[in-house]
Amino acid sequence: MEGECHFLEGNKRAKMWVDYTKGLLEESGIAPDRLKMFNLSSSMAPRFKEVVEEMTEVAKKLGPTKIEKKAA
Amino acid sequence: MIVAERKPFEEIKAMIESCKKVLIVGCGECVSVCMAGGEKEVQILASQLRLAFEEEGKKLEAGETTLERQCDKEYLEEIKDKVNDYDAVISMACGAGVQFLAEMYDSKLVYPALNTQFIGVAEREGEWSERCRACGDCVLADTGGICPVAICPKGLLNGPCGGTNDGKCELSKEKDCAWTLIYNRLDKLGKLDNIRKIFPAKKYSVQTTPGRRIHEAFKEKE
Amino acid sequence: MAKAFKEALESGKFVITAEVGPPKGVDIEEMKHHIELLKDKVDGLNVTDNQSSVMRISTLPVCQLIREAGGEPILQMTCRDKNRLALQSELLGAYILGITNVLSLTGDYVTVGDHVDAKPVFDLDSVLLLETIKGLEEGKDFAGNELTGEGRPTFCKGAIVTPEANPIEPQLLKFEKKIKAGAEFIQTQAIYDLDNFKKFMEYARQFEVKIMAGIVLLVSAGMAKYMNANVPGIFVPKDLIDEMASAEKGKALAKGIEIAGRMIKTLKDENICDGVHVMAIGKEGKVPDILAAAGLA
Repeated sequence: MEGECHFLEGNKRAKMWVDYTKGLLEESGIAPDRLKMFNLSSSMAPRFKEVVEEMTEVAKKLGPTKIEKKAA
Repeated sequence: MIVAERKPFEEIKAMIESCKKVLIVGCGECVSVCMAGGEKEVQILASQLRLAFEEEGKKLEAGETTLERQCDKEYLEEIKDKVNDYDAVISMACGAGVQFLAEMYDSKLVYPALNTQFIGVAEREGEWSERCRACGDCVLADTGGICPVAICPKGLLNGPCGGTNDGKCELSKEKDCAWTLIYNRLDKLGKLDNIRKIFPAKKYSVQTTPGRRIHEAFKEKE
Repeated sequence: MAKAFKEALESGKFVITAEVGPPKGVDIEEMKHHIELLKDKVDGLNVTDNQSSVMRISTLPVCQLIREAGGEPILQMTCRDKNRLALQSELLGAYILGITNVLSLTGDYVTVGDHVDAKPVFDLDSVLLLETIKGLEEGKDFAGNELTGEGRPTFCKGAIVTPEANPIEPQLLKFEKKIKAGAEFIQTQAIYDLDNFKKFMEYARQFEVKIMAGIVLLVSAGMAKYMNANVPGIFVPKDLIDEMASAEKGKALAKGIEIAGRMIKTLKDENICDGVHVMAIGKEGKVPDILAAAGLA
């Protein structure tokens, strides 16, 4: 949970950078809603499922970007 | 270090709007430290430009490289073979680096990605503040190591203006009043007499524009 | 014709100056009216120099208008817009027109005004400007070159101080430099707390310089509170704010005039300082009323 990180300040810093990165995405014409940070622990499977479903909904709603898929 | 910040993305994008291949060149010195134009920032800018171009249905090939520094010819030469493959070069160095790069590759369009701001220090992670105006006529010996030229917006040499505001500057409560800092420091050091004398006006003639310095050892002997 | 300001200063009388703010534009009717109204009631009329960094008519021609009207102008000169060449040539120009009273100021910073992107000059500061004037009087320009020909300019040199500045020590250090650099008179930033001002004067009396207390007309309790919160170096004590607030509706200005008049009278009767500089910003027409309230008209 926020502030309760094994790496002390780690997830607060991650939040800061995620917020910053949302701005970078917006500048580049990519909806910043495509990126969101959630705090949860490894034992929270139901919560994890919820999060995945939430983000899937976001992606569906926004539709595809024009960016070409590249082979990984 | 020289502190800079990245230009707004739209401004950079507009510079290279008609390009298909750009080389983004970072600098490993000051602007890396101040998180404006180092390797990481090169990656971010390249990714953003690629995304933005693709979103508009265009293609951009953005090459990435970061040099040790851009204010020395020996490092700039490292991209000699690469440069020709690109329509333009975006330099993420300070203004000095941009110019030196443009001078070496003078048949290439070279664009600046940063706005160079000041000579300063890292207050803490992610925050920098100005400390030196490079006036060429240092007064720090008398002012307790606090520069009135850089810290006071008016660069006053003979004490504070009437806008001292509880030790802050009238322009912003975020800014310290340089002369309050100087007074307090000298008071602590028992050196207030340093600033009782009238400081002469700055010698702007020492700021030869453009500045040039040759090390004593390298001067041609008569 | 008003007597020379310098003469008035040296006569030992309680000196009164007021202020004329040049307009932004070429309609000078209102300003001329203020000059007419004030010129014979005061010993000098300050002409502000792009006050608050807002572009207006320049000071020198307005000083000339005051002279033509028979008044005694005090040329305010800031270091914000002119370098050492421009400052000196303006001083020489002022002198040949007979404008010899100069108030040396640093000047507000550019960004507080209406041309925020202008290049701030601040080549000299208020202390160095005083030294510059002294140099010209001695026949030498700032760079040490001799002035040509016969005759030397002479000026009556002034400066300012902010007695309520916080912290006060660096301010006083600069005040002392101004006197060392040749200031003959000092007009203070607005003062309202007479006890604080008396303490300042106890200190200032050790120097050979005429001190004129800055009197800024209060027009409402709100203005007093605003200045306390937003204008560094101005402190309006609570009892004055309460007094302003106690005024009946529509009578706040009259109350402000009464307070300003009362303060001036106290300063004069108790011989606290050598004069007053009355600033009725935007209400220049009320200065005669203030002087009347002080029993000076």
